[in-house]
Amino acid sequence: MQKKWVSVLFGTAVLAASAISSSVMAEVVVVVHPSNEASLSEKDVQRIFLGKEKKFPDGRESIPVNQETSNGVRGEFDQNVLGRNSSQVAAYWSKLVFTGKGVPPKEVSGDGAVIDLIKENKSVIGYIDSASVTGDVKVIQLN
Amino acid sequence: MKKTILALTILAACGSAQAEVRINGFANLIAGKTSSDGMLYGYDDDISLSPESLFAVQLSGDVNDKLTATGQLVARGSDDYDVDFEWAYFTYAATDNVSVSAGRLRLPLFRYSASLDVGYSYHWVAAPQAVYGVPFNNVDGVRIDYSDYAGDWEYNFQLTAGTFENKGFEITPGTFADIEGKNAIVGSVEATYDWFKVRATAGTAKASLSVADIDALIGQLAMISAPLADKLAFQDDSSAFYGIGFEIDQFDWFVSAEWTSIEIEDSFNPQDVAYYVTAGIRHGKFTPSITYEKLDGNDDLKFMDEVAALPEQVRGAAAMIVGGVQQAVMEETSTVTLGLRYDFDTNVALKADISRSTDDIDDTNDTTLVRVGVNYIF
Repeated sequence: MQKKWVSVLFGTAVLAASAISSSVMAEVVVVVHPSNEASLSEKDVQRIFLGKEKKFPDGRESIPVNQETSNGVRGEFDQNVLGRNSSQVAAYWSKLVFTGKGVPPKEVSGDGAVIDLIKENKSVIGYIDSASVTGDVKVIQLN
Repeated sequence: MKKTILALTILAACGSAQAEVRINGFANLIAGKTSSDGMLYGYDDDISLSPESLFAVQLSGDVNDKLTATGQLVARGSDDYDVDFEWAYFTYAATDNVSVSAGRLRLPLFRYSASLDVGYSYHWVAAPQAVYGVPFNNVDGVRIDYSDYAGDWEYNFQLTAGTFENKGFEITPGTFADIEGKNAIVGSVEATYDWFKVRATAGTAKASLSVADIDALIGQLAMISAPLADKLAFQDDSSAFYGIGFEIDQFDWFVSAEWTSIEIEDSFNPQDVAYYVTAGIRHGKFTPSITYEKLDGNDDLKFMDEVAALPEQVRGAAAMIVGGVQQAVMEETSTVTLGLRYDFDTNVALKADISRSTDDIDDTNDTTLVRVGVNYIF
């Protein structure tokens, strides 16, 4: 009887651990078109996604693409790269939108949609789960 | 009339824009009630939704890749939800750093001026009235924006010129004023370093404020001394505005403050000095905050030397008018507010606050206000 309890508890612990690790492992990576040679710092990516900069450091146009807020990567990106939660980012954009000073990045439904947009347009910059990376996009190491 | 034509032009520009017309909106639904017979921010001891609730729709469209047209329709509870074109302007992006906007736009007096109506954009139920409760927020004119960054500093300059007008503004319950400003010029500079932001503003205008009861008294004074009546009157008088603000935002917590001064020397209006200090903590979806605000428009009476120089038989009557009019518009209040914001969703925030207001001139006006609200953006 006691032994069964232990194994149930152990099983739960393993499940919980794997759930935690999978959420930690879901690493968000910034991706661009493979032909895009731009070298970007985290600050550059912040400026592009907050509408403060409309060009890559090499002078070419940049078009940021967001994921919908229901996607986990959006929250990760907002928190880790932009340094604030998604509500704060929304509050930031509401200030710009309603003062005619900016239009927030277009939102798409998921990693696949981001990759499709990058395939179509060399100016697009997005972020996806590292597990979704394909040959159609290039992962940018934020320096 | 002029306004309607401007609004229609903007709408037409939106409609004929090459790209799609963007439709965004925001709404604040705020209910409040004071504790006793006192009034605060338009609320009394009956629950009311109208003083601060509003609904707004914004249309914007790109006329071409440099020119954008924006129109904002706002329906305010305080205005019986009559729909009004509060903003309607064109913005021309001259370069990546410089843009020029023309039409009816927000006068950038304060740190939160631009997004004052968008409750979702800040942690308060409403921006501190001591500072933000000015009756002239929009201007018909031109604004030039310049923004750039150097190293880790971002900076922004704004220069606005135009005229403003607010007819039938209720300054105190039951008392209405016509306010007008000509040749208004406001300049501001803002610098941001990651978590630190500082802002300074200076402005001037030829301003007029007319209230029927006061005008009648000044008319009587004019029969005693026309020059003195002219000094006391708030008519085409030079006004000076100064403001300074800062913000420290470490994300987990923030503190910010703003100080402003409005002075119209040759008028019955006292120098109004106002400031607030606010601090809050962001804990997950909750943002509790505390705000202290102070409005000091309680000064020594002006023009008493001129009164003393009048012939003795009219001095008493003149003193009554000169002193009475100034005392009627003096105010000194301080308010402490405890507030809570809850991020219900990325486009909905729920808020509640409780404010204790102290009137330092007449303590029968002391009151406590409770408000709850919902902010929505789309």
